[in-house]
Amino acid sequence: MLRYIVRRFFNLIPTFVIATFLAWAIIQAAPGDFASQFAFDQVDPNKAERIRALLGLNQPWYLRYLYWLRNVVLHFDFGTSMTSKASVTALILPLMRNSMILLLPATALAFAIAIPIGVYSALHKYSFLDRVLTVFSLMGLAVPNFFLALILLAFTVGWFHHFHWFLLPTGGMTSTAFSSFTPIHKILDVSWHLIGPMLVVSLSSLAFLSRIMRGEMLEVLSLDYIRTARSKGLSDRTVNVKHALRNAILVIVAIIGGTLPGLVSGAGSVEFVTGWPGITPLFISSIFAQDVYVVMALLTILTLLLMVGNLISDLALALVDPRIRY
Amino acid sequence: MDDVRAVKGASLTSIAWQQFKKHPLARIALVVLGIMYLLAAFADFVAPYPEHDINANATFEPPTVVHIRDAEGRLTWPYIYTMKKTIDMQTFESVWTVDTSRAYPLRLFVRRTGIRDRYVPFPVNLIPVPMRRALGIRPWATLHLFGVDDPSGQVKVHLLGTDDLGSDVFGKLLFGARISLTIGILASLVAIVIGMIMGGLAGFYGGWIDEVILRFVEALSAIPDLFLLLTLSAVFYPLHLPSTTQFTVIIVALSVIGWGGTARAVRGQLLSLRERDFTVAAKALGASNSRIIARHLLPQTLSFIIISLSIQIPGYTLAESVLSFFGLGIQPPSTSWGLMLSTAQSFAGVTGLGARWWIFTPGVAIFIAVLTWNLLGDGLRDAFDPKSRR
Repeated sequence: MLRYIVRRFFNLIPTFVIATFLAWAIIQAAPGDFASQFAFDQVDPNKAERIRALLGLNQPWYLRYLYWLRNVVLHFDFGTSMTSKASVTALILPLMRNSMILLLPATALAFAIAIPIGVYSALHKYSFLDRVLTVFSLMGLAVPNFFLALILLAFTVGWFHHFHWFLLPTGGMTSTAFSSFTPIHKILDVSWHLIGPMLVVSLSSLAFLSRIMRGEMLEVLSLDYIRTARSKGLSDRTVNVKHALRNAILVIVAIIGGTLPGLVSGAGSVEFVTGWPGITPLFISSIFAQDVYVVMALLTILTLLLMVGNLISDLALALVDPRIRY
Repeated sequence: MDDVRAVKGASLTSIAWQQFKKHPLARIALVVLGIMYLLAAFADFVAPYPEHDINANATFEPPTVVHIRDAEGRLTWPYIYTMKKTIDMQTFESVWTVDTSRAYPLRLFVRRTGIRDRYVPFPVNLIPVPMRRALGIRPWATLHLFGVDDPSGQVKVHLLGTDDLGSDVFGKLLFGARISLTIGILASLVAIVIGMIMGGLAGFYGGWIDEVILRFVEALSAIPDLFLLLTLSAVFYPLHLPSTTQFTVIIVALSVIGWGGTARAVRGQLLSLRERDFTVAAKALGASNSRIIARHLLPQTLSFIIISLSIQIPGYTLAESVLSFFGLGIQPPSTSWGLMLSTAQSFAGVTGLGARWWIFTPGVAIFIAVLTWNLLGDGLRDAFDPKSRR
């Protein structure tokens, strides 16, 4: 097992290097750089060149990639943000935490609802409720995340106009008087702000997950050993839970890693609409400002997360599935 | 003789059509999609006003109600009332009230000959402008599906109200559909072509080519889609490209994200097909590599292509809307449904859904388009995939 983990881990290194190099190349392909905005400075015509030299932007792009890679690998230093002049790591970490506060409960909620729904639909295939759930999940697959978030926002405002009190906050993660709250009050306040975005993020992945769970469960239920188990006279419950569900769950374990990018991306647009202070708003503004190091750091961290997530779900699968040899 | 029936050979497409007909939802989806594409194609004719028609005095005008009963409650020819804008001096919001002093009947097939009202009708507008100039084709059309009987041109019918620029939302939806509905198809076609070429190279030649392509696909899929897509489009953002170029850029960006999956699947298929008897036989008969690929291997993947097209199109449609929503996709003055929703976002917080619900309609359009494409995809999958046949 340990050898398998080590081998898988070393396999990640070339992927990581190629992925970051690709991202770097794409970012550098954009015309101009951060200093371009000072090119027409009336007082100091050389300002752009000075800034370029100061930030090292006058060196070839592939050299700068090597410097960047060295600093990341050796010191975990993602450089300095050009717009805010703060260390990128210091800038990103709190936002990463905020994104996780949204993403983790949303993922957990989505799985917690999707698995029972999928199992129920598979066990009662083509029943009335199964058809209703199918229609709902097809509809869920078709609604863009950000549109759902927009509707939520509009609903929140509409509620306020009608009743003159806020059922849900209109955006953000904390209330304005947050710093003066007691710790318990703070947790409650964040949870209150979390409800809306969390529901939107999990609703949109719910449709997809429950479809997969249903398909997987159906596949398992059609296998020979299930028929054998039934003909042995085992109760429905034993067959469904012990024989079918346990095997179908394996797939869910395997796809957790695979759904992470979708979830991160989906949560991204929700963050943007609801003003959740996560990484996506920063990513967007950094992209417009050509703040290369922030964009790079976010891409790198997300890529790392994704790769590690995939690795963990592969390992988890290897642990729970005795058929997988490593 | 009578009981001898002719045995008819069934081609792949005829089997698929037989199977497809068993899917009522997919058939409905096909019809709905057909209507949407027709509306998009003839947008200039169906929309009452030209594409970039703005009116600073009529921002956020509510939808015009079309009355079909007169004051006594009898059925009449559809007519509308005009809207009047007053400003609430306490909130400085504009308040729209219906002016019932005069009824304006709606007219079908209105001709408007104003210089901005004429347009190039559908099949001709696909020809690029320089080529049209060179060939001397200039078929201006002035006919619109409906309009108001008003010589002054001041009375306007806005079936879905107006947006922040005073443009007709109904018309914008139709013009936006041209982009939103085609980008998915084009992007998935490009992605599948790239994917098939790369997957074909990897699967057929193996060795280091295979290794390099696989590594590349793996690295590409390791970066989260949305963020890679945003980064890719940001490359072209500072160039302020004309809207047709921007359209191409988005297609390229989307297909760069999406070809990896196809490449992997094609590679896998080829690896198994390569060992089949018919390939070995063709090779033994002295067929060249390109002949084997073109005549024996690619046709086998036809079902796969159709199925993956139908899966990818709704995905790309959604991706385009997200991209435009973030401001990195379609740029004004062109419009797409995602871009329209980005306007809606700027104004949702102020008044809420109830007060200006019509600016959210592009979301419904995206929903219907993606839903019908998904349903059609289900039907096509069942039709072309022998495993999921009923």
